[in-house]
Amino acid sequence: MKVSGNAEVLPSENRTFREWFRSKEIQQRVVIAAFIALPIFLLIMFTYVPFLQMFKFSFYDMKYIGPRKFIGIQNYLTVFTRDDCFKALALSGYYIIGAFIQLAIALYFASILCFKTTAGGVFKGVLFFPYLISGIAIGFLFKFFYTRGFVLDTVLSWIGFDENGLPYWLKDTSINNFSLVFTSFWKYMGQNMVLFLGAMMSVDATLYEAADIDGANSWHKFRFIMLPSIKQVIVLNLILSISGSLSAFEPPFVITNGQFGTGTYFVIMDRIAHQHSKVGLASAMAIVLMIIIFIVTIFQQVVMKKFFPDDEDGVSLTKRKKVKGKKVAS
Amino acid sequence: MKKRLLALGLCAMMVFSFAACGSSDKKGSGGGDAKPETTFDTVKIGEDFTDLKADVKWVSHRTDLVDNVYKDYISEFNKLYPNIKISVEGITDYAESMTTRLTTGDWGDLCMIPTTVPKTELTNYFSSFGPKAEIEKNYIMLENFSYKGEVYGIPSVGNAQGVVYNKKVFEQAGVTDVPKTPEEYLAALKAIKDKTDAIPLYTNFAANWTMGAWDAYIGGSSTGDADFMNGELVHGSNPFTDNGKNTGPYAVYNVLYQAVAQDLTEDDPTTTDWENSKIMINNGEIGSMVLGSWSVVQMQDAGPNADDIAYMPFPITVDGKQYASAGPDYDFGINKNSSADDQTAALLFVKWFTDESNFAFDQGGVPITIDAEYPEVLKAFDGVELVIDTPAPEGEEDLFSNINTESEVGLNSDNYHVSIIVEAAIAGTPTLDEIVTEWNEKWSLAQESQGA
Repeated sequence: MKVSGNAEVLPSENRTFREWFRSKEIQQRVVIAAFIALPIFLLIMFTYVPFLQMFKFSFYDMKYIGPRKFIGIQNYLTVFTRDDCFKALALSGYYIIGAFIQLAIALYFASILCFKTTAGGVFKGVLFFPYLISGIAIGFLFKFFYTRGFVLDTVLSWIGFDENGLPYWLKDTSINNFSLVFTSFWKYMGQNMVLFLGAMMSVDATLYEAADIDGANSWHKFRFIMLPSIKQVIVLNLILSISGSLSAFEPPFVITNGQFGTGTYFVIMDRIAHQHSKVGLASAMAIVLMIIIFIVTIFQQVVMKKFFPDDEDGVSLTKRKKVKGKKVAS
Repeated sequence: MKKRLLALGLCAMMVFSFAACGSSDKKGSGGGDAKPETTFDTVKIGEDFTDLKADVKWVSHRTDLVDNVYKDYISEFNKLYPNIKISVEGITDYAESMTTRLTTGDWGDLCMIPTTVPKTELTNYFSSFGPKAEIEKNYIMLENFSYKGEVYGIPSVGNAQGVVYNKKVFEQAGVTDVPKTPEEYLAALKAIKDKTDAIPLYTNFAANWTMGAWDAYIGGSSTGDADFMNGELVHGSNPFTDNGKNTGPYAVYNVLYQAVAQDLTEDDPTTTDWENSKIMINNGEIGSMVLGSWSVVQMQDAGPNADDIAYMPFPITVDGKQYASAGPDYDFGINKNSSADDQTAALLFVKWFTDESNFAFDQGGVPITIDAEYPEVLKAFDGVELVIDTPAPEGEEDLFSNINTESEVGLNSDNYHVSIIVEAAIAGTPTLDEIVTEWNEKWSLAQESQGA
């Protein structure tokens, strides 16, 4: 507005501005800016502003309504001194174990389905389908699944288990967390598999043919061709699964309400925020969890580097060295 | 240009004429100065104002009753007052929608007062039914919407807190007298377990909110003291401790703990099903459930055995007498902006509704008229004194909720503390005494920080 106004006042400059504005370079930038403005606005509006607000809340003693009192890092100290917060975080161990099993099985299915198999499309669809169901619906589904004498018990009794000898899947504190982990396994396995599949499909088929000629068996092909090619996706899936495990919420919230020792960190946080109206403390809990996830992710990166030393970064490094050498030589 | 001026002139005229309409309308409807021409305590139904001509619009929260029960009521009412026309509008999202509509002043003539209206605001929206001192001689539960000696809200019906049970199951187990103490109740549950196939006490644990129902009994029902919730509980020390008399909060929670510990509840609490539980109690597969009286109608409607469902006071006796916490449902309120005739007509209808319609009787609720006959389901409440919590004294309105959230005990808000009792009773540890000791500690710390 301002620019065009100026242009009207100064007609001599009008053309130059127009020319400048219409130049390819500027047009490109304008298009980029126009496309990026909306997502960035939404991102800032609905992610960063609320986040900063929450960060601010974490230093206050406050409820949803009523006066707020600044109390410095007291909330953070409370998070570390309360015994329920970190005890809840320990439950994530169950979900992390589940995540590893889930990734292994997803990898297994993906490596089978990436080659031509009978009704491969159907299997892909069936395995991916649970991911499309809302987490709340899955919760209700599994509540019935685990109910005494319902689906699971019936199926197990068909294959010879004594129905009365079976445990209470959600009541028995020694196994109920595994029952819950299974529900998230059921949901996310298909998604992991599809991500793996996508990466595997992009592996050049001639590599397999070459390996065949060299006399490699399936395991060799998997270990030396497929695995290195999809390393990036494996790392991504690992990071997603582990941060997901640390912030597990839906299964314990919907199925057991966090009772009978299934209250994960998020469930406790929800209870503190919504039922006890301690918004400041819950915000501090959220920030602490975020920091923990950061640390775990960085740690994971370091470990992955150790496991796959001959990764792409290594390749690009040697390439760069070569280029440098050339330059020096010339 | 000329055309534009003409248009402008027309617009201006229209605006003025609208404004004129608005002001004349207001005059016609009384502009807030009109009052009903009689009071709730003095008017005689069927004798006074029988020739009154009026149009009353009634906004109600009971969308389920608008087209059937209320229609019948209105035609009954019209036999006495043929010239009063009453139309009903039901709103699903009542509390919120009505609060918004109230502010417009033009919502109708009669409504159920949303609980969001503070007492001090009552006079701005509603007309008085009459002096409280007179009305309370014959009616109860007027406390919530009375202000400066005037009554602005008449409850449509009262709710009592008790235990919903299946009479037939109790009879099959040989329990003929309604249990009056925790021991009698647990003994009855035991008899049900031994002699029938029914689940003696269904906790509805998995639904979670149903566990919060237990908190409703720790006040009036278990102490007989109307001041308990805002007095003793807020200011006393260690209110959850066992008082040794089998009364008070400890006794309430102990019923649950003992019932679970003695296997008198369902097998697996984590997979209970609320919708199904209604059918089960109707069929006699469940002996009893601890829920407010609102649940009775739902349990009756869930199957063919409506007559088996009954309601009893919570089995605690204080010094030989039984009490039950009670409170009003939504209250009627008359729009002060309506014309005097419409307001009078609305008041007549409320009076008729309360005295003649049998609404409380039909719906299984507590009648608000003193000495009224109780409906069949509440027969067990005959002779039981209803305790209506006294409101918190001025300046302490938030004290209870502040202590409650600060301590994280969460009475009436967090159902988790009741669930813990079930978990502990199943695991056998900790004991109820250990649980309440923890609550007392947290509660005392919160009392200190909130200055109670």
